[in-house]
Amino acid sequence: MIEHAYLIPLIPFAASLIMLFGAKEDPHSPAPWIGIGAMAICLGLSLSILAAVAGGTIPMPYEHNWPWFSFAASIGGKAFLYEMPIGVLIDGPAAVLLVVVTLVSLMVQLYSIAYMHEDKRYKRYFAFVSFFTASMLGLVVSSNILVGFMSWELMGLSSYLLIGFWFEKDGPTEAQKKAFMTTKLGDSGLYLALLFIFAKVGSFQITQIHQFINNGYMTPTVATVIAIGILFGAMGKSAQFPLFIWLPDAMEGPTPGSALIHAATMVAAGIFVVARLYFVFLASPDAMLAAAWIGCATAFLAAAMALVSYDIKRVLAFSTVSQLGFMMCALGVGGYTAGLFHLTTHAFFKALLFLGAGSVIHSVHTNDMRLMGGLSKKMPVTFLTMGAAILAIAGIPFTSGYYSKDMILANIYYVNQPIFWIMLFTALMTAFYMSRLFILTFLGDDRDHEKHHHAHESPFLMTGPLVLLAFLALVSGFMLDRNGLVYRLLEKPSIAAVQAPATVDAHAPAPADAHPVPAAPAPVEHAAAVAHAQGEHHEGHLPHWLHLALPVFVLGAMGFAFLLYKGPRFAIADGLKSTFAPVFHVLDRRWFLDDAFDLLVVLCDKVAAAAYWVDANVVDRVFVDGWGLLTRIVAEISNLIDALFVDRTVDGFGGLSMDVGVGLRGLVKEGQVQEYLMYVAIAFSLAATLILTR
Amino acid sequence: MTAQLTLAHYMTVAGLLFLIGIFGALTRRNIIGILMSIELMFNAANINLAAFDRFLHPGGVTGQALALFVMTVAAAEIVVGLALLLAIYRGTDTVYAEDFNLLKG
Repeated sequence: MIEHAYLIPLIPFAASLIMLFGAKEDPHSPAPWIGIGAMAICLGLSLSILAAVAGGTIPMPYEHNWPWFSFAASIGGKAFLYEMPIGVLIDGPAAVLLVVVTLVSLMVQLYSIAYMHEDKRYKRYFAFVSFFTASMLGLVVSSNILVGFMSWELMGLSSYLLIGFWFEKDGPTEAQKKAFMTTKLGDSGLYLALLFIFAKVGSFQITQIHQFINNGYMTPTVATVIAIGILFGAMGKSAQFPLFIWLPDAMEGPTPGSALIHAATMVAAGIFVVARLYFVFLASPDAMLAAAWIGCATAFLAAAMALVSYDIKRVLAFSTVSQLGFMMCALGVGGYTAGLFHLTTHAFFKALLFLGAGSVIHSVHTNDMRLMGGLSKKMPVTFLTMGAAILAIAGIPFTSGYYSKDMILANIYYVNQPIFWIMLFTALMTAFYMSRLFILTFLGDDRDHEKHHHAHESPFLMTGPLVLLAFLALVSGFMLDRNGLVYRLLEKPSIAAVQAPATVDAHAPAPADAHPVPAAPAPVEHAAAVAHAQGEHHEGHLPHWLHLALPVFVLGAMGFAFLLYKGPRFAIADGLKSTFAPVFHVLDRRWFLDDAFDLLVVLCDKVAAAAYWVDANVVDRVFVDGWGLLTRIVAEISNLIDALFVDRTVDGFGGLSMDVGVGLRGLVKEGQVQEYLMYVAIAFSLAATLILTR
Repeated sequence: MTAQLTLAHYMTVAGLLFLIGIFGALTRRNIIGILMSIELMFNAANINLAAFDRFLHPGGVTGQALALFVMTVAAAEIVVGLALLLAIYRGTDTVYAEDFNLLKG
């Protein structure tokens, strides 16, 4: 089936087009089942590909290319026809992610059937979801990062459409603009990185870039520039510090859409692209360190914001940002497998959390956790499945989150101790705020009797996906753990080992600078050695005492949350809040990052205004207008000289010859034919003399 | 001793004849005299034509033929000239050139 991998993005794409243009808008439209059917087919395809890949029957990575377009180019005066291929590249992570994306998208769509049934743009929502998933799948399977980038941008478009789905309200339109522009800021970095790659490597094929770096043609400086550009793109898409500001606002969209954005598509894309081009990062220790610190800062800052928020979706959004920080940090310290592992487990439990939150919101019609409470009896299935997700994200032993987070921390521990302790603390904060969410929503007494009274369990179409995802959130850790079946699929692409020549149809030219740079091999080998050393570590575990103490810490954090938020009044929490009011204020205002960006925009506006003023008053007035005036003055002077001297001279010669003519005529006695003849004879003889004596 | 006649001799004769013609044309008062002087100048040219033809292209007759044409044209011209003269004389009773200033522009 792997030879039909190209169908995986195309089927949902076609489904979205059919739904968008072929179906009538109607609250009971059967159109969504087109998208669901398409996604089910894709899930089947993905599962068969995963089985084939895991079974080892296909040499990895599997790549197949078709000619796409060609253009005339010349390098060093040698003209040739450059042929750009388009194709699929399936390696272990891609195979795993295909299953995750299609599975989560399928669950989200099934859930949405019930969740969106009252909406007046029912089928359009499903078309957007299918389009979104198709873009993500396109990024995952593409062998050509140009196509990947196109999918990446289509994903930006679909996130824009989905976040602003309820565009009649101001909040969603503001949020969609913010999300679009913030991610575009990051995309510009990725775009520059792509241009840089093409300029250096002469190809957009991932395997060719990999080989180029394997052969040691890329210096660490160039690799750093490219890697930072890619990192910038991932910062926008995967909501890393400081570009994570769009994600909390993206909650304005429909909740299942948020689940899709947070679990399967958008935010996973940034991490996936970094992982896909991981060899670039391996060639540049600086970029690795930058990724690690950015991930660390993101995880910590976002987790701290989640501590004080009362909006159930906001807390989940901050937790997504925080978990993405974990993934980025893991990638930054060389924990390639750990990062992708966490991406997978996170997709399951975060989709579950969002769908569960959607179920709660659907039932009580509010996002404010202070108005919930005591919902466990009213919504038992949501309660139990959410509980599973909370256990997983907090890292209680034997859930999926426990394995992946443990692996990330183990990776960080041996590479960077300061980051390790920050991340450990962040993990405890995660356990705390997720327990807080759980307690505020489901446990204790009902704080708003009206809402509590009307609360009811969601229909089966919503609880069914919850149960399946809860199962996965609990057990996917086993499947993916170190000795698990899928684990070796997520192995890091080795930079030291030179691959067998990739099966590329492209007649790509030898790159312009495809000669070994004399100074290059040593640093590259060094980076490889570092990477290798890190590879040794990530086989290792945390020190034994930490490994055992971690769950105890997590349980302690959860117990602390229970202590603070048990009962109807949260006396201790309020006491803490008044004691540390400034801290709470900072966290409530999201570290003032939004204000900082506002300031930045205002500053840019001011700078632009100043530049405009300079342009209008200095450049236009002094240089352009001044130049015009100067030209006019010069022209006037020139005109004057012309009139006074040049024209006078010309007129003078004219007048002179007229005067001479008149004078000469006075000599002749008029009308005497013999005199005329005489002058003719004289003139003729003079001319003859002149000519003959010359 | 007999001197061989050369081109220079013919040209000298023709030049002298031409000068005489010019002189006459400029100085004669009588229009008939002027016409005669013009005929002299024609003949000077004819001598040259014949002489050049004889010395530069021996055996050819182009020059002589041209001279014959010139004579014909000259005869026609004299006819017209004398006819004009007759018309002038009938109108003004004079044949002196200085008495006419009709060419005055």
